[in-house]
Amino acid sequence: MISVGIDVGAKNINILLLKDGEIIAKNSTNSGFEAKENASNLLNKMLDECNIDRSDIGFITATGSGRKDIDFANKNVTDVTAVSKGVKFLYPEVRTIIDVGAEEGRGIRLDEQGKIVDFAVNEKCAAGSGAFVESMSRALEIPITEFGPISLESTAKIPMNAQCAVFAESEVVSLVHSSTEKKDIAKAITDAIASRISSMVRKVGFESQIIIAGGVAYNVGFIRSIQDYLEQDVVVPEMPEYLSAYGAALYSEN
Amino acid sequence: MSIPKYKTAPLKTWGKAKELREKYYRNYLSAHDNGGLRWAGGAWSFGAIPAGLGRDVFPLTGEPYGASIAFKKDFSLRCLEAVEKKGYARDLCSYMRNYWGSIILDEFAFGGKFPKPDFHFQDHICCSHSKWYQVASELEGGVPSHSIDVSVGPYKDVSKEKIDYIVAQMHDSIDWLEKITGREYNDDLLIEAVKNEFRSTAKWAEICTMNKARPAPLDEKTMYSLYVLGTLAKHDGEFADFYDELADEVQWRIDNGIAAIEHEVVRLMSDTQPPWGFLKIFRYLEKFGAVSIGSLYTFGLIGIFEDKPDGSWGPRETPMQKGEKIETRDQALRAMADWNLSKPEWQHFYSPHLKSEMMLKIAKEWHVDGVMLHYNRGCEGLTLGIAENRLALIEAGYPVMTYEGNMGDEREFDESQTMSRMESFMETLGLKELAV
Amino acid sequence: MIDKFRQWNKDRHQYAKDWKEKTGGKVMGYFCTYVPEELLYAANILPVRILGSHEPQDVTEPHMFGMYCPFSRDCLAQGLKGRYDYLDGIMIAHSCLHIRQAYTSWDKHIPKDFSYYLPVPQNLQTPHSTPYLANEYDVFKKALEEWIGHEITEEDMERGIQTMNENRSLLRDIYKLKERENPPINGEETMQVAITQQLIDKKEHTELLKEYLQELKTTTQEYDSTRLMLLGSENDDIEFVEMVENCGSTVVIDEHCIGTRYFWNNVEEAEDQNQMTRIAKRYINKPPCPTKDWMDRNRVKHIVKLAQMYDVKGAILIQQKFCDPHELDIPAVKKALQEIGIETLFLEFDVTVPIGQFKIRVEAFLEMIDNDDLF
Repeated sequence: MISVGIDVGAKNINILLLKDGEIIAKNSTNSGFEAKENASNLLNKMLDECNIDRSDIGFITATGSGRKDIDFANKNVTDVTAVSKGVKFLYPEVRTIIDVGAEEGRGIRLDEQGKIVDFAVNEKCAAGSGAFVESMSRALEIPITEFGPISLESTAKIPMNAQCAVFAESEVVSLVHSSTEKKDIAKAITDAIASRISSMVRKVGFESQIIIAGGVAYNVGFIRSIQDYLEQDVVVPEMPEYLSAYGAALYSEN
Repeated sequence: MSIPKYKTAPLKTWGKAKELREKYYRNYLSAHDNGGLRWAGGAWSFGAIPAGLGRDVFPLTGEPYGASIAFKKDFSLRCLEAVEKKGYARDLCSYMRNYWGSIILDEFAFGGKFPKPDFHFQDHICCSHSKWYQVASELEGGVPSHSIDVSVGPYKDVSKEKIDYIVAQMHDSIDWLEKITGREYNDDLLIEAVKNEFRSTAKWAEICTMNKARPAPLDEKTMYSLYVLGTLAKHDGEFADFYDELADEVQWRIDNGIAAIEHEVVRLMSDTQPPWGFLKIFRYLEKFGAVSIGSLYTFGLIGIFEDKPDGSWGPRETPMQKGEKIETRDQALRAMADWNLSKPEWQHFYSPHLKSEMMLKIAKEWHVDGVMLHYNRGCEGLTLGIAENRLALIEAGYPVMTYEGNMGDEREFDESQTMSRMESFMETLGLKELAV
Repeated sequence: MIDKFRQWNKDRHQYAKDWKEKTGGKVMGYFCTYVPEELLYAANILPVRILGSHEPQDVTEPHMFGMYCPFSRDCLAQGLKGRYDYLDGIMIAHSCLHIRQAYTSWDKHIPKDFSYYLPVPQNLQTPHSTPYLANEYDVFKKALEEWIGHEITEEDMERGIQTMNENRSLLRDIYKLKERENPPINGEETMQVAITQQLIDKKEHTELLKEYLQELKTTTQEYDSTRLMLLGSENDDIEFVEMVENCGSTVVIDEHCIGTRYFWNNVEEAEDQNQMTRIAKRYINKPPCPTKDWMDRNRVKHIVKLAQMYDVKGAILIQQKFCDPHELDIPAVKKALQEIGIETLFLEFDVTVPIGQFKIRVEAFLEMIDNDDLF
């Protein structure tokens, strides 16, 4: 039986297919303006590549901020629930999830049964999300994929305090004008995001093991910064941006 | 899981509440028509004091007026922008900004021009209180303004000297009122008004206490339209009578098993003012079988409570019920000062931990399963210490959800994000939208 | 000699720890300038103003909602991070509700021997505030006596009053020198003196102040750049003041609670009043915090007077983000200053400030007000 999980985020749509519990395909595309159409097109493409007919699909669950747009889904769950499900299945030792999407960062605490005990969300501030990293990488003229490795070259501690992403960008411009090295600015940025994420996670409290979900997990600089702020190592999963879609697909299985 | 199903029925006294509220604003607007007076001040102001100037003296309380503006989103936006143009910061109290905007635009929320008050009569406990009317007077081109400081500390530490300080200011305020209005003060009217205040605020507390019943006879959204009378004029005899009537009806609902919502699966408690332009979030809760039974805000903004002999939290016994003498001006003022100092919503100004204690009482005695806290950016006074309240509730084992918003500035409230968060919270409580 | 003040400022925690060891006495951290230090000195306690460290932090969010003043959160962060572990007690006086949260969270979560919330009237303009405050001092004194284990005598109280008065008078004397056309001390140096006034044992501080005052009276050092006033919420951001002055200005006067609002007036002699009443009057009459400035705007009158006394060219309004009390006064303050020909620059402060962006604004402001001279 084919179970489908569709995660419609602010920026990206991630889709994951399960066949009898095994992941057979995963792919992503931009959400764009027509999320429903883009999701549907991507799903069809993935089904073609796996030689699966649409009628073979047992169940579709949607999650993410645009989940209600996917009216061809059988049901939808919120991202908090979806990512928790995905993590519980793959990483049963995890008790804290830090899920950083394009527009929102979430902190979730689980008990031993994987049940959600508490959750918190970033408030009124983009500087704790993926969108901030992207806009900062533009300001620094560094490809997003190189951002992490470049920041790792630095050991500086430059406080960046703008509460709002718009002002953070102009703070970066100031640093550039004062001839601060790119790697140091990159680190200042990952520190700034990590500090806000850590502040939010402290609201729900954190305990080992801590996992980073969402695309930001690929940013090795962010991983170093968040480990510094939390004073603990974190688990970096294999497919961090697909954990929510995976959880949604698991809901489809049941 | 079997979903309970209860009888529901609209409140019979609902229409009367609406009528009384409309009359209140009409009275203020037309006060001068027959030589009467009108004044503006906060909802917590000692309204019984100007009442001693005559039966034709009508108040306009600032916070409810600010909330009324918030309901009219377009008008509110124009008010807020007008205030920002004058150089006032966006993070100031949003009731106050709505109110000032109404003055600057010279538009009354209920039609016509803004009716300038004859004087301002205020109390001061939140940092912005007196400053609100200091600025309002400047915007109005000068209005005689007077404010009484009541920030003497929590009720558990009350002393004769603290009451003396407040009462001395009250006596001075009466002299001031006589001077600026040219009217002779009538102590009998003061005493009558003070007793009405005790009646209405104790009765509201009693009504809130009735919501301990399962199923709850009232839901919080409905309660907002009822407690408001106490914020308009708690010293008004008609309002006190209305609360008597309402209490009878609520008891009748309990006796006849009439619930606020048809499927009460889970009972929630909220806190701080709701985002007034988005009360639909309470209706959204109902889809999950969740009812909000109230909050310290809805109960204790106006209601006066105490620890009862049986250990429960309930309405404070009024001085009349205790047989205390209120026959002179000083006795009336003193009793009113003491009564108000015990107000639940005045305690957290000195320590959030005092508020946590009360919130835990409500959670326990009103059988609450989860808590929704509105981190209200529009009110520094009532959101004071809310993070510590959250910690205390979590420590006591209650699931707590928080959402940021603004009671009076809709630009700071993200509806879809909040609904999403509420949905996540419902999921963690094991609730799904009811398929009924 | 200014370097000694700078060193005290930098090593504030070590100073307090050393003081404890040397004297065996108790240290009381306090949160607001309405705290009557006279009583603390009478009890031989070292009062230390709790200040932030101007570093972004991630520990206060569970305790304080982010929409409250960054300074309060910075103060609480210091406590949560253990930097004030040497404090024996903490206290606050009732003033603004933002900083109150730093106190109440600290009280619950950080261990100490003693804590006290002192009610202080918000209605300073009624005569009834004096007996009320004097009575609250009596209650507080009893709590102090219980803590320290002995009575605080009238002599102790007079000593406390004199200690505070002498120190405050010396600050006034230094500020008098800033009235000069070319003052011998600039804003950054003044800040070092003013901040340390709230951190160091006043008796020691007084000794150094006396010497420093002599040095200032005879120095050839002169500051002759554009005369500015700094006013608003709490400000102890030295990096900011240095930047402002490096742009070509001198901060000759301030109106905030790490400056003149703290020391401006003294406890007066009065034969017909007891000590508590005399002290109460001092705090009631001091330049007010905006939360207490109603219904008349006494603070604005005072600001105008200061601006004129110090022949100020421009004023920078330092506004702590989210600080409602000061925000409420901004339009009235701006208007009053503009009416006497003083332009204002509004800057919103946080725990750290974007020095680069602020520098551009300050430079533009200085160009604007200096150019006025040409016309």
